[in-house]
Amino acid sequence: MPGPIPILRVADNLLVTVQTDLHDAVADAFQEDLLVTIERTGAAGLLIDVSGLDLVDSYVARVLVDTAKMAKLMGTETVIVGIRPEVAATLVRMGFTMSGVRTALNIDEGLLLLPRPRK
Amino acid sequence: MNSPVNYMQRLRIDDKELRARRAFYEITDEDLARLAGLRAFGERNGAAIVDALYQLLLEQPESRTFFPDDYTVSHVKAKQRDYFLGLFQGRLDLAYVEDRLRVGAVHERIGMPPKLYIGAYSRYLRLLFDRLLAELPVDEAHAAYRSLAKIVAFDKGLAIDTYIAANLNTVARHQAAIRELSTPVIRVHRRILLLPLVGTVDSHRAAQIMETLLLRVVEEQARAVIVDIAGVPTVDTMVADHLLKTTEAVRLLGAETILTGISAQIARTVVQLGVDISTMHTRARLEDGIELALALLGRAITTTKAD
Repeated sequence: MPGPIPILRVADNLLVTVQTDLHDAVADAFQEDLLVTIERTGAAGLLIDVSGLDLVDSYVARVLVDTAKMAKLMGTETVIVGIRPEVAATLVRMGFTMSGVRTALNIDEGLLLLPRPRK
Repeated sequence: MNSPVNYMQRLRIDDKELRARRAFYEITDEDLARLAGLRAFGERNGAAIVDALYQLLLEQPESRTFFPDDYTVSHVKAKQRDYFLGLFQGRLDLAYVEDRLRVGAVHERIGMPPKLYIGAYSRYLRLLFDRLLAELPVDEAHAAYRSLAKIVAFDKGLAIDTYIAANLNTVARHQAAIRELSTPVIRVHRRILLLPLVGTVDSHRAAQIMETLLLRVVEEQARAVIVDIAGVPTVDTMVADHLLKTTEAVRLLGAETILTGISAQIARTVVQLGVDISTMHTRARLEDGIELALALLGRAITTTKAD
């Protein structure tokens, strides 16, 4: 069953743009979907654009961090891009710093952080 | 800015508030009717009372400065006569309040201190009382005086409120200016921002710093942010914690923070306090911070001529 959030494959990387608020159920399905896609494609990198989210609670933040860790176990580098200023401030205030996850300002910069395409 | 409409809103004077004020000053319809009945008295005595009032204002050196020439004096005397007759209108509605607030605002704007403004009312009432006694039977004069005293007290209350509102307005403007000045985020180079911090950093200011800085990082798509703390007198655990949080938030956006201006004193304090800021890029001098920022962006300053 296709998940609620489309996962695009660009060269060796997966590109995801989160546009809708991640409710708990959506977040879980999203994570599952991503991991299955990584397993199937063996993507080198995963880029998650969250610039469409003006609200990220601790649960969603945890799902994102966990997903990055799980992807790492499968050999996929994750970069989260486009965190909004107010979201960043809230996360830090909650003491949630997403340590271990790489971040970038926008998709362009995020792509630079991902592994070069394999020959 | 100082229009009466503004004061009406700022002091939140509506029908309900007006009723409450009237009740507190105990101004009854009877008082208003009595005052309306004295209109002829007011018209007869207005000029003389206003003249006598200005005698006081012009003989005191402090109040005299507000009336530099004859033209000003005759102008304000005419205004004062209008005000005087206003006391005998026999109505106390929102239009009346608006008019009184305008009078208060004018005095505030020219910088007349409340002591003079309120003090002049003392002479005003005494002059009124003398004229009432001279023209009316004693008990009527007393009753008229009581009604006048009430409405004058009501006017004084409005005047003081105007002064306070104007001052609060000034304070709010200054606070806004200070807030802006406290977080001057400067673009020092392409995609490099600099925030020179001067003065004490409390939690309120720290929150402000983070908010401004994050917005600017996204706005400028900055990759490196230099926070210079050379002007911060003491770095305690709280300040260090704020700086760490800001660094983390900046990292979430995808940029890096460089802390510069760390004096020997600050370095010693931070280590002695046991605060771990090793996750931050730190440099002693601002120039080193700028070079590091450039290096993060793959750029460098080169020498084109030997010294």
